[in-house]
Amino acid sequence: MAKLHLKELRKSYGTVDVIKGIDLTIEDGEFCVFIGPSGCGKSTLLRMIAGLEDITGGTFEIDGSRMNDIAPAKRGVAMVFQSYALYPHLSVYENIAFGLKVRKTSASEIKTRVGEAVTMLQLEKLTERYPRELSGGQRQRVAIGRAIVGQPQTFLFDEPLSNLDAELRVHMRTQISELHQRLKRTMIYVTHDQVEAMTLADKIVLLRDGRIEQVGTPHDLYERPQNLFAAQFIGAPKMNIFKLTDECQNLRENLKLDRNAHYFGIRPDSFEIVQPGEGILSGKVRLNEYLGNACLIHADIEGHDPVILEQPVGTKITTGTTISLNAKADNVHAFAKDGNRIA
Amino acid sequence: MSAAIKGPSLTLKAREAISGWLFVSPILTGFMIFFVGPLIAVFYYSTTEWNLLSQQSHFVGMENYVDALTRNDTFWNVLVNSLVFAAGLVPLNMLLALGLALALSRSVRGAVFFRTVFFAPVITSAVAWAIIWTFLLQHESGAVNRALSVIGINGPNWLHEPHWAMASVIFTRVLKTVGLNMILYIAALQSIPRDYTEAARLEGANGWEIFRRITWPLLAPTTLVIMVITVVGSLKVFDHIYLMTGGGPQNATLVLAFYIYEQGFKFFNTGYASALAVILFVLILALTILQTILKAARK
Ligand SMILES: Nc1ncnc2c1ncn2[C@@H]1O[C@H](COP(=O)(O)OP(=O)(O)OP(=O)(O)O)[C@@H](O)[C@H]1O
Ligand SMILES: [Mg+2]
Repeated sequence: MAKLHLKELRKSYGTVDVIKGIDLTIEDGEFCVFIGPSGCGKSTLLRMIAGLEDITGGTFEIDGSRMNDIAPAKRGVAMVFQSYALYPHLSVYENIAFGLKVRKTSASEIKTRVGEAVTMLQLEKLTERYPRELSGGQRQRVAIGRAIVGQPQTFLFDEPLSNLDAELRVHMRTQISELHQRLKRTMIYVTHDQVEAMTLADKIVLLRDGRIEQVGTPHDLYERPQNLFAAQFIGAPKMNIFKLTDECQNLRENLKLDRNAHYFGIRPDSFEIVQPGEGILSGKVRLNEYLGNACLIHADIEGHDPVILEQPVGTKITTGTTISLNAKADNVHAFAKDGNRIA
Repeated sequence: MSAAIKGPSLTLKAREAISGWLFVSPILTGFMIFFVGPLIAVFYYSTTEWNLLSQQSHFVGMENYVDALTRNDTFWNVLVNSLVFAAGLVPLNMLLALGLALALSRSVRGAVFFRTVFFAPVITSAVAWAIIWTFLLQHESGAVNRALSVIGINGPNWLHEPHWAMASVIFTRVLKTVGLNMILYIAALQSIPRDYTEAARLEGANGWEIFRRITWPLLAPTTLVIMVITVVGSLKVFDHIYLMTGGGPQNATLVLAFYIYEQGFKFFNTGYASALAVILFVLILALTILQTILKAARK
């Protein structure tokens, strides 16, 4: 059991506030992903949960008991570092056994538990090797092995896949997902890769500048972004945002937008190209990028920022032509002047 | 008209080798003239009986060595003194250096100040250092004994009682040289990624276990380097002894390098002094090789 509860959590380094009041509950067994731009405080927050950074203000609880002043080793957490932090002078076996050894586990117990982890992660042939003799993916697996032998209640991952190549990332991602299904433990995973966030998470916590912008399921974040930042952070290519100026009040009518709407957003794949004159916007095609499974069309729209739309590969569009664009009212996200979602 | 493209007559590798040798040749020349040359000369002199004053020299073969090793008790005393000096200085120096480095490698308040304090003697002139300590360690009027008398201890005549003299030169030499080893250890400690200690802390290791299982093994290469330079430095010690005790009292601090100096430049037994120098050279070489082998064997 490990239900994590963060109340008004704060962290400052001297006069610099890095975490500015985080309220968050992570349920037992949940896979929670922290995502946000570089420098927003993801690692800091994770390290505060681990106990590697002390907490400047607020309370952090696990299953209702206050953890602020509990030593890292007593919180029942294990962490996988971005650098893997494998001890270079110890073999794979010794690396995995390290925590058990310092916790004075009996030799036979160490042997069975390390054995299990090694089998589970398919490291049998590598146990006598040293970290420098392993590939990135193998090191990653050793790091995970080191985390699981301690049988922690909570796993913390700080960008564990960011040093791997694209193919291996996909593979390890599924491995981590399977690990979660098998162990059913609480996991907190920091990343700035939104594909990882969307595929792994039960709950995504979107951070910006030490504050939470939105918490929800991947579906929530994609379908109902709560503000302009969330709207543009999740989804690639990012959502097109339009400002409702006085000249385009007809758009407000056509899209049935709220009176208070100041901005609206449409995802690239929500646009349809229609007969000239029938759309809500018209644009001049600047560039057509071929992606294999789709095309990205970049178009300039008079009075607005350029847009990107995603279209099926078959679409025949040459640069320089003018196209008329339409979108279903359901697929239009409206935001107020302060950037928050309307309805 | 088929002008085949004619490549350079030498292969790329050969040309690189030639330019490589050209680049190192100046330093190599210097090394041969100023290092290898004198070394060979000393070997040669050690097989002669040569008096610098009378300028007369004749070949005596191994006679000087036989003299030192079998006929001369002083040599063995001197050798024991040198080993005692090294055996006292090396562990004390390294332990202190490691302790200071562990305390001062973190960015705690005052760390930079104390690093400077402990490093300052390294760059202080050895002469000044020895003279200051000679004053401080004087029997009646020295600051050390006066401080001791405040707490009711009647301090010994540090530099004039055989055992205390040896202890005093060791201790003051440690203070003079510990700063360098401390800096080497600090550099090594700071190059150990913070992740290792954090990971170990999360896994339940306490400070001592982190040191024993992570830090110390990762410091091993640095420890070897420090050990070699400290051992070599302790066997070569001369100025410090010359200035503080002059080898006395009753030859209690007469160490090899000082003995060589005495034989060569006070008694002008150049041949005999050369033989002693060769013995010192072989001793240091053997110890250095031994340390390296021991480290390699432990891997
Ligand atoms: N020891 C420190 N002293 C002062 N500021 C710090 C310290 N450590 C981190 N910060 C600041 O805290 C902020 C958050 O850092 P953090 O490492 O948590 O970011 P992050 O979200 O993990 O970024 P990234 O995606 O690049 O890893 C940054 O602006 C950083 O400059
Ligand atoms: Mg980070």
